[in-house]
Amino acid sequence: MRGRVPAKGAAGRNEFEELRNSISSLRDELETRFELGSRVPRDADAPSFSGAAQSSRVSDLEVSGLDPMELFDRARRWMSRLRGETRSAEVDEFGLDPVQLERARPLLDFLFERWWRVQVSGTANLGGAGGERVLFVSNRSGILPYDGLMIAHAVERHHPEQRRPRFLVADWLATLPFLQSGLARIGGIRACPENAERLLRQGEGVVAFPEGQKGALKLFRDRYRLQRFGRGGFVSLAVRLRAKVIPVAVVGAEEAHPILLRPDFATRLLGIPFPVTPTFPHLGPLGLVPLPARWRIRFGEPVRFDRVESHRAEDPLYVSRAREQIRAKIQSLLDAEVHARESVWR
Amino acid sequence: MRLAVTGLGSFIGLRAIEALLETNPDQVIVGLDLQLPASLEGRIVFRPVDLTGPTADGRIAEILREQRCDAVLHTAFFGTPQSDVEYAHELEVVGSLHLLNAIGATGIEKLVVMSSAEVYGAHPDNPNFLTEQHALRGNPDSHAVSDRIEVERLVRLFARRHPLVRAATLRPVAVVGPSIRNRFTRYFGARTATTLLGYDPLMQFLHEDDLVDAVLLALARDLSGPFNLAGAGVLPLSTLLRLAGKRNWPCPHPLLYSLRYLDSVARTSDPPQAFYDYLRFLWVVDASRAARELGFAPLYTSKEAWMSFVVSRKLEVYG
Repeated sequence: MRGRVPAKGAAGRNEFEELRNSISSLRDELETRFELGSRVPRDADAPSFSGAAQSSRVSDLEVSGLDPMELFDRARRWMSRLRGETRSAEVDEFGLDPVQLERARPLLDFLFERWWRVQVSGTANLGGAGGERVLFVSNRSGILPYDGLMIAHAVERHHPEQRRPRFLVADWLATLPFLQSGLARIGGIRACPENAERLLRQGEGVVAFPEGQKGALKLFRDRYRLQRFGRGGFVSLAVRLRAKVIPVAVVGAEEAHPILLRPDFATRLLGIPFPVTPTFPHLGPLGLVPLPARWRIRFGEPVRFDRVESHRAEDPLYVSRAREQIRAKIQSLLDAEVHARESVWR
Repeated sequence: MRLAVTGLGSFIGLRAIEALLETNPDQVIVGLDLQLPASLEGRIVFRPVDLTGPTADGRIAEILREQRCDAVLHTAFFGTPQSDVEYAHELEVVGSLHLLNAIGATGIEKLVVMSSAEVYGAHPDNPNFLTEQHALRGNPDSHAVSDRIEVERLVRLFARRHPLVRAATLRPVAVVGPSIRNRFTRYFGARTATTLLGYDPLMQFLHEDDLVDAVLLALARDLSGPFNLAGAGVLPLSTLLRLAGKRNWPCPHPLLYSLRYLDSVARTSDPPQAFYDYLRFLWVVDASRAARELGFAPLYTSKEAWMSFVVSRKLEVYG
């Protein structure tokens, strides 16, 4: 019964391939004939789209050095760049677009090297063994997910064997327009256990922030004080998948967007959290620019769950104890890093 | 296998029958519908049945016994949301109930029901890959999707009461291809597309040939429960439109919803959210169960299915 069906489908596919090839060759021909998309400046005799009727106007403008076709072409190019048209035609299954990530890299490098001058320590703890499942657990701070981006960047720069880990983004950020699709293209993923599990199983490193929204939106006076670590979902995951947990402390992100106030009425009105920082909202979009505090990222010693029986993943007491141990580890790393720095800005 | 098929006029009903007859011309197929499509005349056993009729269950049971059927393919669903919501509900939900009652009363062994991955609903808090265990949250604005969820519930109840009947439900993502017509092909077939400003979800497609293939597999294998069906790979909506060379007008969603309200209600009696939510949030499924248990290997990836659809539409326009 099944035998014939794929054969039929394959024939349909061959036809489709032929059709696609003929269309693309037709397009190539049209493009070469009309010089579409080429940067070669047109000379006066060459056939042009503007046609004979408009030729007088064209030459008028050419006197002043403006070829309307050239201008149009340039404007189109500029618009296409603005609209992010340089992208790859394939994304990975979580939406990471390698072309757009490459395009964003100069900006990320600038943020990493010049803006926040990130100091990375404890890279020895990243380990080099391939095939190991790695879950980075970090403190969450700042409003926008800069810390996830910078941790991913630090891992990639300081550890060539390690692939760029994916970072998880809290719900309320992942549902905001623009931000959500933009983050997905450069490696951000909505935080939920299913996503983290799938990524770890695929052998990707994952950066998780168990504090979640509470960490991202804590007031400036609570800086570098870890909030509750969720319900320990990350511990059960690590136990079940035998992943090693690397605690990470990020210092400096709190000062990137210090939150002075968090008016409840605005949150209720907008449906999304509305923090007030020294620059936002009164400076408008300018307030979205993070302050250039100096950042320190420190990777702690990995916590392994290799010898823990997998049924412990369901044991709430074990999970909460392990969760608190990791939380205490990150807190002590944080305290050490905060003490070690001389100034917020240098 | 003696197969009964409901919904001869639906795309999948017609194509599945044709594929079955092509592989085995002696296959006995009993068609249950209001009328027989001209292309099937003389090739199948046709019995006129109105699924919405008050005694439809008795009539179907009679036919199934008389023809000694042992498998049923249930495809009597509308491809596009109807403006006559009540009739759609009668046919899809009450019709399914009648059919399930009839199947329970006869010795049918195998049931395949067409559903859709739209029953998961597009929600901002969906995981990136929905598995069959995920709750069916649907779309509260869409009558068609709510009806499908109701049908799935009926099938689940039925399967619990009749453990000997293997009831499989197929949940394909947006199905596209040269000949299928549904609300996705209607939207994407237009020369321009209105998208929601700031939202660019990942999309998945299934080619129509692969859907037929999956139905045949589901009929051949003795498996029950839901199966997600999707082509390999995902692509952002904006990339899809660009690949197709379609112009794209991003519009803020509150504005679009109010502009499209009357048009949408007139056509489908649902507000625009019923459709546009699926272009706003994620509803990508994990099709690994179908690959593992059904052995379903789609010939077209999502991107190839999309390109096949786009090219076929171009040919329609330019001859």
